Amino acid sequence: MFTRRHFMIATAAVPALFGKASFAQSTKTLQVYTSGDTNISNWWNDSIKPAFEAAHPGYTFNVTITRGVGEENAAIAKRALAALQSKTDPQVDYFEEFEPATVEGSVDAGLWLEMTPENVPNLSMINPVAPEAPIRLPYRGSQVLIAYDSAKMDAPKTFADIVAWAKANPGRFTYGRPDKGGSGSNFVIRAIHEGNGKDPAAFTKENFDAAKAEEMLQKGWAILKDLHPHTFGEGTYPAGNTPALQLLAQGAVDMIPAWSDQALQAMNQGVMSETIKVAQLQDLALCGGFAYSAIPSNATDLEGALTLANFMLSPEIQTACVREIGGFPGIGWDHLPPELKAEYIDVIPVSIPTFPSGDWQTAKNDGWYKNVATNLVRD
Amino acid sequence: MASETASPGVNSGRKRIAGEALAGLALVAAPMVVLIVLVLIPSVTMIASTFQVNTATGSHLGLDRYAAFFADDYSVENLRYTVVWTLISAVTAVILALGLALYLRFSEGRIATMIHGLSLFPLFVPGIIISYALARFLGPNGLFQLLLEQVGITGYVTPYLTPIAPYIAFVWENLPLPVLVISAGLTQVSDHSIEAARDLGAGATRILVEVVLPQITRSLVIAFCLVFIFVIGSFTVPVLLGPPAPEMMGVYIQRTLGELLQPDVAKVQAAILLAVSSVVGALYLFTMTRDGRGRA
Repeated sequence: MFTRRHFMIATAAVPALFGKASFAQSTKTLQVYTSGDTNISNWWNDSIKPAFEAAHPGYTFNVTITRGVGEENAAIAKRALAALQSKTDPQVDYFEEFEPATVEGSVDAGLWLEMTPENVPNLSMINPVAPEAPIRLPYRGSQVLIAYDSAKMDAPKTFADIVAWAKANPGRFTYGRPDKGGSGSNFVIRAIHEGNGKDPAAFTKENFDAAKAEEMLQKGWAILKDLHPHTFGEGTYPAGNTPALQLLAQGAVDMIPAWSDQALQAMNQGVMSETIKVAQLQDLALCGGFAYSAIPSNATDLEGALTLANFMLSPEIQTACVREIGGFPGIGWDHLPPELKAEYIDVIPVSIPTFPSGDWQTAKNDGWYKNVATNLVRD
Repeated sequence: MASETASPGVNSGRKRIAGEALAGLALVAAPMVVLIVLVLIPSVTMIASTFQVNTATGSHLGLDRYAAFFADDYSVENLRYTVVWTLISAVTAVILALGLALYLRFSEGRIATMIHGLSLFPLFVPGIIISYALARFLGPNGLFQLLLEQVGITGYVTPYLTPIAPYIAFVWENLPLPVLVISAGLTQVSDHSIEAARDLGAGATRILVEVVLPQITRSLVIAFCLVFIFVIGSFTVPVLLGPPAPEMMGVYIQRTLGELLQPDVAKVQAAILLAVSSVVGALYLFTMTRDGRGRA
């Protein structure tokens, strides 16, 4: 049977076989792999590719989508690692998004190229809130924002603003269940941060201790339990990012936490009322993260890969990242057009806090169900 | 497997019968092997493992893990919620299906055909579609509320994210199967017996209760069992339409396994759910095999 996998192998192989051989003199084709969602792969093909070809004549790239196929990009990274050891062609130049540490031993083996302002000049403009990591190139970010109806309220600036408004307007605020999507999850985390001195550094992967965690989480539960009866349906939290956005779009609520890219895309598509706006809390932002590109040190066309990396951090593409996919820029806002900064001033975070995965996440999600959601007794 | 059942020295007629039996067995062999290898063996292993209690000093057999489940109010509430709403949903579906099947049994014409087709329509709609459709239809400011407001009815409280919304979805989703089963049962009710009762002056209710229902009890029980088994293990509908807590067991088990990464706890939850389903499964088997006839 000719499966999707075969199709992708075939489509990836065609330019590798013919493209390089016949057009090698005039055009070099870079092999880019992505496991990102449709919005990302479409953006690369429809928007970045023509821009890259125009800016760098002699180069083009071929995007292979590994989304949903086996180990996705990890399989390609493993192939590159094997190629590194056997000194053969890895048939990959660029990973749109990949976390190098997920392929064991690849970092120590030197598979990943270190990127510095010397080989990627635009790195000098990198967003100050993006964590530094020479083998990972933070080129787009997303963060949970507060989406709200500007006809009904001013932009909330602090967590206390949200609570105060929700209490004054019962049933008009809600957030998704923390295990069903990042928007609800990061709102719950923000409540936990609120209860623990707004200090994300108090939560690290190493400092998890069941008894201490219980004590720290309880401070968050107290805040959320207090909020519970004032939320939509007196505590009937929607089951995910999309259901929460749907409630906002249907006018059932006036404020929700939402992923920046999903909210901005919904607004651009016109499914939201025109008065819906997004804002970031200014006392302590909701959590988020960056997508990191990576380049194998044995890339078939290393020079081309570095050219692409530098291009991705150019103000042109970074502006497109904000405008077209609702992402956060990988470079500092000061390097982007001033009107863009003015337009998005409400969502620019002072910092991008994170919350450790593993035990903390588990304790947070289960604790929420047992402490917050169960306030609901009706059937 | 059964290749040595034909002993030497039997006459040719018996040989032929044995051959036919063998062919029959060969037909069921493949599904049986799949059932045994992929379902029965893992289930038995899984259930057996739930009786193993690991302590700091070693492990022993016991019911400690079940005791832990029943000592946890949250888990017990989830189980109670699951059983109660599954029962309510199954009973409602059977009652509605009985009405539909009766109508279809005693009516003819284009409208009856259309209703028959419509009643089977949910069979072809996946749960996730029903969930999103109902969320939009019954949800706040949804079509249903707008229609009510058009005729002046205000104060609509949406069932979305309460136990009522998954209940509506369960009944809707599970209507076709009982309609088919009960319709099949009703074909065994002869027109003569109904006409005889009518001639003796029995009213519609009396005919239903004393003539029709006793003849289709088996169909009703089978229909109930089928719906119950489908609903009790459901996941998509209660996740998307129901409240965050209490959780249906299917949702709870998935969360325990996938999110909390506690397979040992999830196994106990699954075994308890299996025990509840087995009661209904046993009822189904008992009804099916009671008088040796095929499915009603």
